[in-house]
Amino acid sequence: MAHDDETICVGIDLGTSRSSISASNGARHVVDSYVGWPLDMVARKVIKKDVLIGREALESRSMLDLRRPLENGVIKDGSERDAQAVRELLRHLVSLIGIEGKQQKLRAVVGVPAEAMKTSRLRIRAAMDGIADSVMLVSEPFAVAYGTEALLHAMVIDIGAGTADICVMQGRYPTEDDQRTLPNAGDSIDQRLLASLQEHHPHAQFAIHAIRDWKEKWSFVGEPRRRVVVTTAADGKPIEIDITDDMRAACESIVAPISETVRDLVARVEPEYQQRVLNNVILSGGTSLIGGLPEVLKSALSELGKAQITLVQDPVFAGSDGGLAIARDASDGDWDKLSL
Amino acid sequence: MRSLENTKRQMIRAVIETNLENRTAKVRRKRLRWQMLRWARASLVTVTAVLAISSFVISRGKTPSIIAGNVNTSAVHHVFEPRTVEPSVPLTAPGDVNLSILPLSVKRIVIDAGHGGNQPGAISSTGLAEKDVTLDIALRLRRLMKQSSFEVLLTRETDRTVTLADRVAFANSNKADLFVSIHINSLQPHSIRPLETYYVGASNDPQVLQLASLENRQSGYSLSEYRQLLEKVYLDVRRNESRALAITVEAALYRSLKPLNPKLDDRGVKMAPFAVLVGTQMPAVLAEVSSVTNDEDVKLLNDEQYKEKIAVSLFEGISKYANNLNSSGKRGDAPNGT
Repeated sequence: MAHDDETICVGIDLGTSRSSISASNGARHVVDSYVGWPLDMVARKVIKKDVLIGREALESRSMLDLRRPLENGVIKDGSERDAQAVRELLRHLVSLIGIEGKQQKLRAVVGVPAEAMKTSRLRIRAAMDGIADSVMLVSEPFAVAYGTEALLHAMVIDIGAGTADICVMQGRYPTEDDQRTLPNAGDSIDQRLLASLQEHHPHAQFAIHAIRDWKEKWSFVGEPRRRVVVTTAADGKPIEIDITDDMRAACESIVAPISETVRDLVARVEPEYQQRVLNNVILSGGTSLIGGLPEVLKSALSELGKAQITLVQDPVFAGSDGGLAIARDASDGDWDKLSL
Repeated sequence: MRSLENTKRQMIRAVIETNLENRTAKVRRKRLRWQMLRWARASLVTVTAVLAISSFVISRGKTPSIIAGNVNTSAVHHVFEPRTVEPSVPLTAPGDVNLSILPLSVKRIVIDAGHGGNQPGAISSTGLAEKDVTLDIALRLRRLMKQSSFEVLLTRETDRTVTLADRVAFANSNKADLFVSIHINSLQPHSIRPLETYYVGASNDPQVLQLASLENRQSGYSLSEYRQLLEKVYLDVRRNESRALAITVEAALYRSLKPLNPKLDDRGVKMAPFAVLVGTQMPAVLAEVSSVTNDEDVKLLNDEQYKEKIAVSLFEGISKYANNLNSSGKRGDAPNGT
């Protein structure tokens, strides 16, 4: 669908850990979903900014009221500050695509978890007020399916930090019965890894941010290709510890719930199409980058038949690219109905 | 290609419709708030009128049937009933309006033995399968429940495969009041011995119940709108009640099992959108009662007394929740201020 030059379309994947934006002017950006405000006047003077976003915020966290405002893919409950943080995050994402000062209409498609409640969707829509002219909310796995044109007899497993969203595509807009949201995702791996390391190395100190970094560098399932040895501190001294087994166990903890849910969703598909769905399973999201995950999932699903699991080319941007594709394909009339 | 473009167009149309429905819901919520204010004003007038009439009735040797602290509009109809009671009944200032709706009681409980048939679940190093232990405990629990006033149904009574969808459908079609799924954990490292109980994700809108309650009394909505409203209330209440049930079950399990299993780790209640929790239409919990990856736990799971203890604990937790609910006769009275 053609849009005039005065209009810019964006797809936004608002993630618990990272948020990405893809714009029709070709810009694509990803930021860590952290927002922080200086704790006091001294911090404000040092930081020289009213608010910090992303990695910059994380690195200055000792001086900030640091927020990771999304939980399980939606704005945390009950906190006005978190709602404000999401607004700042969205504002920052949009500022990155380089349209500031230009009088362009902004049409945004925002991905939310498949089973996000209506109230959560309304909160995200409200957060976009004043940032975009029109907003459309779609489920994250649907955005991925749309972007990869896997719309018929396909399944998308979108594993982020807060949630794993699984959606079976049957040539129609997925209903609630076609989608599932699980909490077994990147954050649950972090928590398990932290608990396991604390148990095995009671004298060592572990920070959740370091755990996340280790996971992003060395996460794997199945047989390890190399030992994972990290440096941390114990009694004020640096020590090296081997976390290979802990890492594998934590990462593998998401395999069973995901494969169980896949089985459940496949069982709902008409029998003659079940194998076709299994032949077209698409894996996306930051946590899908865990080493060996497609193979292990394939093995876990083997009792259903031979599954073909494909990792999308760009897992981090698959959601926002899909959102952009939807935004572009929607007509002017459609967008007019969704103006804020 | 044309077919793909058509499919895309249809999907975008569906997305737009869904988005518009959500926006309509927002407008409806604003209307609800406005109606709530109107209702509050109206009820204030009603309560004042009732008090005035009641005072008049008392002065003539009659008593009002409204009880302070539990005023409702239906009470107005009883004020004029010619009932002879003590004239000295004190008439204190009215308390908060009771917003509870749809009194809930527990009669029929569905017990779900996790896994089964060609889905063994977790298996210990000694070959103990989760599906066998969960069935054993479920059968014990059924025996205990049958001895009480509950009606109990099992999703499976033998070692057979039952899909998650069928388990959900079984509970829903039997109109169960509670759903309790029994599972055994499988976790790394093997040394941990966790005990945890799950319920479906928490509500994001605490006002929905109150709004719907008010709307029950003064409905300006069409039947379909009203049904949608009640469904939202039901979702919220179900989550809250599921959490309350999870708390009592987890507490009962930990209290009873800890003396026999001192290293048991109480991991508390957690939210999770497991298929059986999401799909069921009644308060539902999933209890991970032990761990097959821990050798000591496996030893205990081979012990008849320990399995009986788990069943008894589950029974106690469920009974406590049900009795609280049945005796309170209203929602929201569950432990821990759900």
